Amino acid sequence: MNGWLARFPVRAAIGLVVPALLILWWHWRTSAQIATFAPPAAVGRALAELLHSGDLLRDTLSTLKRAFAGLAIGAPLGVAAGVAMGIWRPVDRTLGPLLHALRQVPMIGWLPLMGLWFGVGEGTELIVISMSAFFPSMLNSHAGVAQVERRYLDVGSILRFNTAQRIRFILLPAAMPLVLTGITQALAFSWIATIGTELLTGAGSGLGVAMSQAQVQQRLDVMLVVIAVTAALGFLINQIFRRLRQSLLRWQPSVQ
Amino acid sequence: MATRAFDYQILAQTGRTFRLERLPLSSFVAPLALLALWQLACLTGLFPPQVLVPPSGVAKALADMTASGELQRHVGDSLQRLLIGFVIGALAGMAFGATIALSQLAEAAFSPTFLTLWQVPVIAFVPMMVMFLGIDEPFKVAVVAIASFFPMALATFDGIRGVPRNWFEVAKIYRLRLFQLIRRILLPATVPAILTGLRISLTRAWVVLVAAELLAADSGIGQMMEMGRQLFQIDVVLAGVIVSGLIGFLLDRGARWIESRASRWRTA
Repeated sequence: MNGWLARFPVRAAIGLVVPALLILWWHWRTSAQIATFAPPAAVGRALAELLHSGDLLRDTLSTLKRAFAGLAIGAPLGVAAGVAMGIWRPVDRTLGPLLHALRQVPMIGWLPLMGLWFGVGEGTELIVISMSAFFPSMLNSHAGVAQVERRYLDVGSILRFNTAQRIRFILLPAAMPLVLTGITQALAFSWIATIGTELLTGAGSGLGVAMSQAQVQQRLDVMLVVIAVTAALGFLINQIFRRLRQSLLRWQPSVQ
Repeated sequence: MATRAFDYQILAQTGRTFRLERLPLSSFVAPLALLALWQLACLTGLFPPQVLVPPSGVAKALADMTASGELQRHVGDSLQRLLIGFVIGALAGMAFGATIALSQLAEAAFSPTFLTLWQVPVIAFVPMMVMFLGIDEPFKVAVVAIASFFPMALATFDGIRGVPRNWFEVAKIYRLRLFQLIRRILLPATVPAILTGLRISLTRAWVVLVAAELLAADSGIGQMMEMGRQLFQIDVVLAGVIVSGLIGFLLDRGARWIESRASRWRTA
């Protein structure tokens, strides 16, 4: 195999070629006088400006706050619903079809309806973000509880566990990997839903609000800074949560 | 290749516990009871019609919009955008995924840029694309294409990298040319992964399209809901929610059906 390609410095250098070419092309395009194209250097200036004025910090914090508030509401409800549906068949029979029907609607598609009911603002955003966190938590917790091995439950019944003990000592530990997968997905979904709802409602502060303002003001430099921050934060949160998940599950032999 | 939370393999699994055809009758009790309760609450005047119209009102709105052809126009516009953008995005994604999977040099050159861009939620590209493309058709098609590109590229990459090495050696022994290699080995071996990628691309593209239409459009399901909201037509908004959910459901089902048909020979 191409041994020289496997070496890290070589790979890194090759990986930088494409971005470098893109930036060169971009620089050249801007010198050729195209109105909405901000030159690469302007992005650096915009970043400094946004950092200095504190706007970026404020927007980032309110987006994070929203996303985590939605996650804090939606994920526990989702896990509870999923576990309940996994344990009690009647709950699954009655609640399941309804929830699966609601799940089919694109989450952002709930915004107009929620906007009519609760007004366009913080509450509506929070509801939609919570819903985005709810469904992945529910689906994975349900799957996790539903696939618990029969013999574990048999041991439980030999030991005469009551329902609470069964949940605490058998179902939750056994379902934990999938529950945590669900929460990881919920995190990603609520992050995206937060950006989306902020873009659409544009109320208060937030990274999505900053993007839609940059669009109105035709500030490509600001836009790119905000997009980069969005991407970096999404990546970071996800990495942190993956680590967390792995350390929470280190007692499980099968976790990678 | 590194992954992010929106791992397409995880996405591929979600919803697998649910099968419509296996539902017993009792599972219709709760939704029907809810519908009855909803209708009753509206009839007794618990909710004024500005806040909640009864199911019969939503059905009437759907029937009216169908009779006037308005609904067909919105659905048709949305589906047309979805189709064009999806074909462009999925083909580009497949070509890109295959390129970086087959050539180590291409992988080294493109994958860092690709993975960086992948961290950006597609919806975050929307305002920037409005700046460049305006709010007309090209913008919406581009949103769909971008949303389909990334999962498709990854699925193709993983599919091809999953092909056992010795199959390539067999190809070498038979002196297959690149075209033959693709036709005889890569395509059949990667069909399941590619179909899963297509399904995820399609359903995600639909979600992103509805969001883009909510934000900026002159027609389409998303625009229909947004207009309904601005005009306080709650029946139109509810109809939009139902139709967009139904389309999403059918797209997912259809793709799953094709997936199970096309990869049946594998397990057989």
